[in-house]
Amino acid sequence: MRVTNSIIYDTIKLRLSRITEELNKANTVVATGKRILKLSDDPVGLTQGLSIKSTLSNIEQMGRNITLGKSWLAASESAMTQVQDIISEAKALSVQMASDTAGEAERRSAAETVQNLLEEIVSLANTEVNGRYVFAGSETDTAPFSLESDNSVTYHGDNNPFTVKTGKDATVQVGSDGEAVFGTIGQPDDIFKAFNDLKTALEGDDISGIQAGMDDLDSRFDHITSRISDIGSKMLRMEIKENIFQDLNITNTERLSRIEDADITEAILDLRAKEVAYQAALSSASKVLQMSLLDYM
Amino acid sequence: MSSGVEMVLSIAKDALAAQQDGINVTGHNIANVNTPGYSRQSPVLEAKEPELYGGVLLGRGVDTTQVVRASDQVLENRLMQQKSDMFSFKEMESYMQVFEGLFNENSDSSLSGLIGDFWNLWHDLANNPSGTAERVALYEHSALLSQHFNDLDGDLSQLDTDLTNALRGGIEKINEITAEIARLNDEIVGLENDGMANDLRDQRNTLASELTEYIDAKIFEQDNGSFTIVSAKGCVLVNQDENYDLQMNGDAVEWLGSGGAAVDITNHITKGKLGGWLDMRDEIVAKYQGDLNALAEEFIWTLNQQHSQGVGLEAFSSVTATYDVSDTGEELGTADSGLDYYDRLSDGTFNVWVYDSAGAVVGGAPTVITVDADPGGTTLASITADINAVANINASITTDNKLQIDAAGGFTFAFSDDTSNVLAGLGINTFFKGATAGGMGVNDVIGSNKNCIAAAQIDALGNFASGDNANALAMTDVQYASKSIGIWTCDRRDGNTEGTTNATLEDYYHAMVGSIGIKASSISGSRAFSEVMVNELTTMRESISGVSLDEEMTELIKYQHAFAAAAKLITVADEMLDTLISVK
Repeated sequence: MRVTNSIIYDTIKLRLSRITEELNKANTVVATGKRILKLSDDPVGLTQGLSIKSTLSNIEQMGRNITLGKSWLAASESAMTQVQDIISEAKALSVQMASDTAGEAERRSAAETVQNLLEEIVSLANTEVNGRYVFAGSETDTAPFSLESDNSVTYHGDNNPFTVKTGKDATVQVGSDGEAVFGTIGQPDDIFKAFNDLKTALEGDDISGIQAGMDDLDSRFDHITSRISDIGSKMLRMEIKENIFQDLNITNTERLSRIEDADITEAILDLRAKEVAYQAALSSASKVLQMSLLDYM
Repeated sequence: MSSGVEMVLSIAKDALAAQQDGINVTGHNIANVNTPGYSRQSPVLEAKEPELYGGVLLGRGVDTTQVVRASDQVLENRLMQQKSDMFSFKEMESYMQVFEGLFNENSDSSLSGLIGDFWNLWHDLANNPSGTAERVALYEHSALLSQHFNDLDGDLSQLDTDLTNALRGGIEKINEITAEIARLNDEIVGLENDGMANDLRDQRNTLASELTEYIDAKIFEQDNGSFTIVSAKGCVLVNQDENYDLQMNGDAVEWLGSGGAAVDITNHITKGKLGGWLDMRDEIVAKYQGDLNALAEEFIWTLNQQHSQGVGLEAFSSVTATYDVSDTGEELGTADSGLDYYDRLSDGTFNVWVYDSAGAVVGGAPTVITVDADPGGTTLASITADINAVANINASITTDNKLQIDAAGGFTFAFSDDTSNVLAGLGINTFFKGATAGGMGVNDVIGSNKNCIAAAQIDALGNFASGDNANALAMTDVQYASKSIGIWTCDRRDGNTEGTTNATLEDYYHAMVGSIGIKASSISGSRAFSEVMVNELTTMRESISGVSLDEEMTELIKYQHAFAAAAKLITVADEMLDTLISVK
């Protein structure tokens, strides 16, 4: 083929510009550590990367939801455990007071103690997490239990426990319907009524009443125990979920890194190869461009 | 009939002239070594007719009959066509780079990041339904998300405008070029009575090549040497010394024929920069703008529909719908109503709850309003009358044909259990307003009172609790739901059609971004391929027509030596004459 001057110049120009472009790209990959810089660099990888990113964002949110849920469950558990302690205390007191050795004055003072314990339970039933009442159903902004002037207790909450989302199709009730824990007001399972009845029996020096109150306390204690174990099992489920999400977080982060991030060793080697190619092209160009018949005339 | 020595002198004179022609042409070649489109020229030397002299046929020397150029018009034409493709892809590639930048997903403020955060903020609200901070954050972020949709739509429209402007500029250039080619045609035809108009032909080829950079152009050489150039849809751009202009009419490219009638050739232009710009504008930008709108439409609707099932921290005392109708007497479920989301309405009911100043449900029960979405059913006027009939609230139609509901003093109202979607369709108790990417925004009702964000739902007795997150949780579920979302196919020849695809809102957007990337990379690939082809053909063309300095130097020496020899011939002839004269 006839090779003319412009063929030589154009070829050199084209080669150099191509190698410069490749060199620039290899350099950007090394500098940013990213394999995908534009949508067109790897559209399939990019799409995968995007859905992994949204999965990761969702996983992180679920982690926050679970942390919040756990703080609700922990607060509920702690409040209920304390309520159990109070019931035990009242029980112990009742055992003493049911005995013949206790006198009327002692029972009267025991009644005072029971009143204090009742007030303590009301206060525990109004336990808050971040300013939200955990035993209020979904009326989380209002104190669910109030002690009235006649010493009866009113429930202001509702029967829909507060719920958090722990997965795509999973929600967990982390709050409680106050009446499910402390009993429906005025009904036989009403814990506040149990204390009030005990107090009345103590005040009335009524031994059989005290004994009946002890039975009531036992059944309340058992009820709270079952609620605590319910909370405990939810806590366990939350922790298992949390671990799963942590694992998912790690595997997805790794997958994302494999898709998005450049293999630095490979990228640097690639950059070196491009540099060498560029230098070779420059030196061959300078040699070819120097040659001319004029030099020999 | 000349004598011997005179003959020698005459031959020497012709030889000098011929070699000088050769040096001339070589010089011209050297001078044009870097001129684009220049074809190497060479003199055609011919021996003169011999003459019978003393019974012998003697040669009479040399003559330069013509100067020809080394050119292969078929190859030139192939090169032009290939360049035409290359420029189409080049333009598309450069606009695709801008386009890709708009959807750049590497930054934190990318749309997919904003959508992800949007769901998370609904989770945060579900975790603390009465929290003011969560409500404000959700509102602010939603406004930002809407703004991003608006910006993307604006950027795509701007790209559309830029491309139309580029077309306008391209057409001006085409008209200039075709006028110049017509002028050259005229000159070449005139000159070629006396031989090939080499340089003018090169000039014309360069112009024709430039023309093919802009638009489809088929070039035919007529017998008289003039070019006839035919473009898309068979419209003639140049014929002999006449050229026919193109013009822009709105978005369309028109050809002004000899008859003066304008012919729309927009969708027939496939090559050159114009082809690239048109493909970019009417296929790529149009498709993704359509897809973005389809996404916004579904995004707004799905969230509004769920939102309208809920209730905020407080009931409304007054609310104005966000969507208007064009005719208050037309059925809401039909296109004639002019309602943006008319096709999403169905037969069903919804409850209107009215609360007194103490928060108790008036009458102890809701008013159930029945909606008949089918033709012949509910109109804006009829539903306004139905709501207006509920005690203690007034419903009216605003001057811009939107539903407005106001409670009597001290009363408030709320909605629940809408199975007809009419509330979402009218834009009552909704989260977003608008129905397109460009028109999307957060409902002004929420903008002015964040307590109207519906995290809760009304129970069977009309109660709603501040800690109820039932609706907020349902809103977060929207992110997992697969929806039927419109997807556009835009083709300049076959027209634009909208199909549907099933995907979650986020997956749809991810697929959209992915397909932009695939498009961009396939355009880059085509550009690279056509560039290789152009280089290949350019090398072939250069190989035939290009100037090689080494070759020209050799030629120069060749002619120089011949010139010297011819000069010597004159000396010899002179001496011969001297010798003859001195013979006495």
